[in-house]
Amino acid sequence: MSSRQKFILSSLLPALLLVMIFTYYPFFKGVVMAFQNYKLFNLKQVHFVGIQNFVEAFRDQQFLAAMKNSAYWVFFSLILQFLLGFILALFLNKKFWGRGVYQAFIFYPWALSGFLIGLIWKWLFNSQIGVINDLLLRLGIIEDRIGFLSDPNWAMSSVIVANVWYGIAFFTIMLLAALQSIPSELYEAASIDGANGYRKLLYVTIPYIMPTIIATTLLRVIWIFNDPTLIYGMTNGGPGGATHILSSLMLNKIIYDGDYGAASAVGVIMIVMLFLYTLFYLMVTKSEKVGDF
Amino acid sequence: MGAAVVKGWTTLFAGVMLLGTLAGCSGSGSSEITATPSGNTAAPNENVKSTEPPAKQITLQMIESLTSPERTKLLQDAIARFQKDNPNIKVELISPPFDQADNKIRTMLAAKQELDILEVRDLNIAEYVNNGYLEPLDTYASSWADSKTLSGTSKVVGSNNGKLYFIANALYQRQMFYRKDWFDAKGLAAPKTWEELVDSAKKLTDPKQNRYGFSFRGGPGANGNFDHMIYDYNDKVMNIDDAPFTKDGKTVYSTPEAKQALELYKKLYKEASPPDSINWGFQDQVQAFTSGVTGILLQDPDVIKVLQDKMDPKTLETAAMPLGPNGKSLVSTGAAGWGVTANSKSKNEAWKLISYLSSPKENTEFSKQIGTIPIHTSATADTFFQTGPYKTLLDMTSKADIFVNFTPPFKYPGNGSWGELSMKGQQSYLLDKKSTDDTLKEWDKFWLDQKAGMKK
Repeated sequence: MSSRQKFILSSLLPALLLVMIFTYYPFFKGVVMAFQNYKLFNLKQVHFVGIQNFVEAFRDQQFLAAMKNSAYWVFFSLILQFLLGFILALFLNKKFWGRGVYQAFIFYPWALSGFLIGLIWKWLFNSQIGVINDLLLRLGIIEDRIGFLSDPNWAMSSVIVANVWYGIAFFTIMLLAALQSIPSELYEAASIDGANGYRKLLYVTIPYIMPTIIATTLLRVIWIFNDPTLIYGMTNGGPGGATHILSSLMLNKIIYDGDYGAASAVGVIMIVMLFLYTLFYLMVTKSEKVGDF
Repeated sequence: MGAAVVKGWTTLFAGVMLLGTLAGCSGSGSSEITATPSGNTAAPNENVKSTEPPAKQITLQMIESLTSPERTKLLQDAIARFQKDNPNIKVELISPPFDQADNKIRTMLAAKQELDILEVRDLNIAEYVNNGYLEPLDTYASSWADSKTLSGTSKVVGSNNGKLYFIANALYQRQMFYRKDWFDAKGLAAPKTWEELVDSAKKLTDPKQNRYGFSFRGGPGANGNFDHMIYDYNDKVMNIDDAPFTKDGKTVYSTPEAKQALELYKKLYKEASPPDSINWGFQDQVQAFTSGVTGILLQDPDVIKVLQDKMDPKTLETAAMPLGPNGKSLVSTGAAGWGVTANSKSKNEAWKLISYLSSPKENTEFSKQIGTIPIHTSATADTFFQTGPYKTLLDMTSKADIFVNFTPPFKYPGNGSWGELSMKGQQSYLLDKKSTDDTLKEWDKFWLDQKAGMKK
């Protein structure tokens, strides 16, 4: 090894060590725990149990419901965040008076923590003192208060609404940046060819920002899938587990059950799911020539 | 091995690591812990020349569980007074958010983090003892002058397997609080039984006016109510020294009376409580009561001060806990208190602080400020505890044949997980996702497993 290589290696070593300690060690420890009976309530009984935690997870109705909820949560949050974010980005891409103020209002949710947003929406949706119920009652749309967070039929939709509100800003920011990079000559050429607004959107705007669309949507899926903070703030997974997604269920198993084995098993299942998703992501980004993130 | 294969494996490995990182980034951001040095250590008088070497500075790590801003402030003030008398001891009080505190403590203990004094609760004493986390305090307490006035209850709740593990800082016993103005308007008297409570609550309920009879608690701590009802309905068969088991070794959840009680409990939620209350915890149910959404609240005396501060005294009244169908109410005294960790390096100093905080003077003042029952018998002579809402508690205590004391399942290590497990089952039951029988079967099995675990 040359002295130059030694120097490079020794320079990289501190960072490598930190990553090893704070990322890889917990990761591998978590994988090991997934195969153990590891409960904080009874640490004298810690031992390997093979795949029992995984078998129990797939037998657990709560886990299966959380998997289904995760699918709803990711799909509807992503579609609505993207569509509304795109519409707002198109709107903000035009020059008009007060555009800066609108931008500030649209972007500010992104600066808040998910947990805090969860708490805000928890109050908005509250049956007794919530603004949303009050407004619907006053407008005569409903006769009785709706238990948005206490009725399982409403709860999942309610947390998705809050998550959509939270995530719109991300797509607006990213897509607006992409829209502003489209050369005006392309639109001029399209106009000469007789294209109307709709055709310009379909044949100029969308193809040009497609790499950004793919990268942001794929990345956002991972974030939405992994982030339980908003659900924690709003419902803590309730009522009766109706709003648990996999990541909130995993946290719940740690925080309230003290069952690190079961929680790690859920975590490992999530990692496998995300790994498969990442392979798909890498394939798509390769074909679309999208830059790394 | 070809370069392409190596590249492929490298990409796969990088993908796994990326996911590991992503998974590591998805923690909840809500679990903040604050370590606060309590007050300033008084400097020793520099003018006094001492021939003794200066005492070594000791720092005690202390963590509380039943955190609230007011309570933390009281603790910090008491600790500051202690530090003034003991300049060589510095105390760092850790105050995690209440709903996550016990798990924080568990995690710190499991990771063998530096901790000297911890707040132990009746519901997790067996778990901590079982895991070898706590130092027995019998030797320390035997030479403690103030132990003479320590009430029998506080000694019992702080003990496990015949050894004392924590000195209680407060005792809790549930009673009924109700809105007198609502009751008067409907011409109702304070309910005496669970049946009457449900009927009264139904009469007070008017969703159109956003009024509900009962301040239900279906979230964390929900078992406080349904367990109480099930116990009261099983007063004839329950082994009061070994709740929740019956005299013949079954559990109270396996009886027809348990089914009766649980169905009444469901009626209470469905017909007389706010729908949202299925998710409510302590703060929510108290806020609903003080803000005029609900009319009846069953709670410990630590809410007294909050209720008195936020409500017109004319509207607030207290009554004894409702009775079961046989005219009995099974009551227990809850407690939390200070224990010393088994691996503390400063056990003597830790005990010094605990004995200071647990002295009659400090504890009585603390109890008055947060509204709990003091741990020393000498404090009951104080007129403060003989009037108002405290009088109801004293009246209940004086009728021991009606308000029968039982021993909660503190000795079972799984007791600490019962609250969460039963809360989830109860929510599913209230939402009609689970039948009464299935819910009770699950609870019956949990306790039978606990019993079997103890015999191993």
